[in-house]
Amino acid sequence: MRELVASYLCKSISRRGFLKGLTKAGVSLAAAESILKSLTPHVQAQEARRAAPEGVKLFQGTGGAAFAEQLIASGVKYVFGNSASSDASFYEALVDRPQLKYILTPHEGPGAAMAAGYVKASGEPTLVMQAGFVGLANAMGQMFNAFKEQTPVVYYSYRSDATRRSGRDGFEEVANQEQVVQPLTKYSWLARRADMIPETVRRAFKAAWTPPYGPTYASWHTDFIDETVRTEIISHEKIDPRMRIRPNPKEVERAAKLLVEAKSPLMIVGDELYNAKAVDKAVKLAEMIGMPVTQVRQVFCNFPESHSLWVGSIAGRGVESLTFPKDVDVAINVGNKLQHGSPAPIVPRATKFIDLRNDSWSMGNVITTEAPLVADVGYGLDDLIAAVQGITTAAIKTKAQERSEEVRKFTEQAKVLRAQINKNPDWNERPLLADRLTYEVAQFADKDAIIVHEAGSIGLHSFGFNPLGGRELFFYYGAHLGSGVGTAAGVKLARPNQQVICLVGDGSFVFGPTALWNMARQELPVITVVYNNHAYAGPHSRAVEHVAGGRMVQTGQFVHDYLGNPDMNMVHIAKGFGVEGEAAESPGQLKEALVRARRATQDGRPYLIDAQVRRTGVGWAENPWTPPIRIAQTRTRKV
Amino acid sequence: MIFSRVVLFSLLVASLLFSLSASNGAEQASTGFVDAPGKELLMSKCFQCHGEKMWKDLKQDRRKWEGVLYRMVGRGALWTEEEINTMAVYLATGFGPQSEKAATTK
Repeated sequence: MRELVASYLCKSISRRGFLKGLTKAGVSLAAAESILKSLTPHVQAQEARRAAPEGVKLFQGTGGAAFAEQLIASGVKYVFGNSASSDASFYEALVDRPQLKYILTPHEGPGAAMAAGYVKASGEPTLVMQAGFVGLANAMGQMFNAFKEQTPVVYYSYRSDATRRSGRDGFEEVANQEQVVQPLTKYSWLARRADMIPETVRRAFKAAWTPPYGPTYASWHTDFIDETVRTEIISHEKIDPRMRIRPNPKEVERAAKLLVEAKSPLMIVGDELYNAKAVDKAVKLAEMIGMPVTQVRQVFCNFPESHSLWVGSIAGRGVESLTFPKDVDVAINVGNKLQHGSPAPIVPRATKFIDLRNDSWSMGNVITTEAPLVADVGYGLDDLIAAVQGITTAAIKTKAQERSEEVRKFTEQAKVLRAQINKNPDWNERPLLADRLTYEVAQFADKDAIIVHEAGSIGLHSFGFNPLGGRELFFYYGAHLGSGVGTAAGVKLARPNQQVICLVGDGSFVFGPTALWNMARQELPVITVVYNNHAYAGPHSRAVEHVAGGRMVQTGQFVHDYLGNPDMNMVHIAKGFGVEGEAAESPGQLKEALVRARRATQDGRPYLIDAQVRRTGVGWAENPWTPPIRIAQTRTRKV
Repeated sequence: MIFSRVVLFSLLVASLLFSLSASNGAEQASTGFVDAPGKELLMSKCFQCHGEKMWKDLKQDRRKWEGVLYRMVGRGALWTEEEINTMAVYLATGFGPQSEKAATTK
């Protein structure tokens, strides 16, 4: 008997084996169970001792409570979700865990955008949860954005219960749910047992937050969350591989040599710089080389736009479309995904290319690479700066200074040319020019304002973004629309002490206005400015260019782009969600509206301006044609 | 003064366009753009992003073309006022409301 007890306590036999052993030895089942019960405190004490290492604890409770415990251990403060009765045990667990705050979002799409905005602005983990597949399907648009933008958001939604219904094509069920999101996630997994909920969750956080970042997905059957489990809860620090790697030293030497010997070098910057908080290092390297700096489409602005080496973003198809510099012989990319919108590579084949990124997978896919530097961009820049310093001679320094002066002359001139925007003959007209609206908001914005931009194809000028303590940009890189309002709400949640202005097109706005309700409920004083031209202006212009001279232009019959008749009233929409607002059609009205917006946000209330913007481009009639689909008049019964 | 210069310049461009359209039809047919002051600017500054198709449907006057060009400034185009004026005149002449036959080939 003593031997049996010892075996049970050291876990060499199971609970069932222990009972079996006792009954075999002649002990009645009732007595055996009593003995077993008396041993339970010893077993638990032993397990507690085993879980003693810092960051690891043993937990017993419902699957829902274990889920909550693991989220806390993973560093999560906010969870964004939409109501799901199957997650009741999780909600129950939140009552006694006030450190884990649940934000109810009335639609999963803007809810997921809010989560992503929070992650991008705070650098802290969060979880988005939806009701089964039906909720997940709504969130997948923003999952796409997170995947494209490499934002580490963890998604969770349950599946039908395993024991009674799963696999029967039941209510809200789809087969292989976790596989549906695989192309959009770094990791997607269905927990096989209730006690594996925490492990699945922490692995999802590990995968999402290991560079290159990206969204992940965790799922389990609904009955798991109600089961009682004994399981480990482990803090994120204990599983995080802290993957900040240094580049290959030989490649660093090669890259440094290329840079110092270049006649016309160029630096392209990207979001990895912002995420690694290494913008200052990029500035230092650019200054050492006397190297102009540009950027291709990204989420953030990753270099101070007021710096004399900043030559502006690449507006065209590649490096060759820059006004300056011309004939780039060496280009270094620091942390940009370089998303290609046309067949030609952004960096032409003739240009020697140094690619410094943590995402080795995308290196060399389109652009040939002379010196691949797979690394955390902060470490990579440290090493590259040191290597350049090591080989810089007085002559090279002089050359770099001369080039800096040449770039400065260009950027000074560019500044003057950009300021001409107000010479547009329609500058003072009403409805507003989109450029006038942007200009006025830029004049109005705080020096450290955060601009969340989902305003279609407008040019975002006049702000002078500076990630080193000035204005910051959160752009809609992923382009699944409906992200702007939610992103702005999430950014304000993360950075309550900075002014947050959301610039959003009318088309984008109506994809995701429900986050306005969150702004009202959570008291997130964001200023939302809708560029309302009552149209999808971008698709209009691009379609016209695609079929130039075609029937659409000849007849004025564009079926796909006009959002008027009736005009949407964004102020009424905002009021429906508890947000004050007003319309503005002229520059004077806009300025007054902005003053009221500032007052509202200072008082802690969000505000919306429905700015009436003129439609510009080919083929817009004063009163655009709409398809003659009017059903009321065709009825035979007036019901 | 500036206005009269612009008018004179427009007339000059228009006459150039007309003479070129008569004498150089084959070349125009391949590009749709006649040789005149502003063409080179347009080709070098605008064709980085835009194909030639978009110009053909945008028949509008000088003021509106000027508005289009200034909107491009908002998107990163770096042009002097003089360059914008030259291109606006060229475009209004070649791609103005009355200009289909004078400046372009279909």
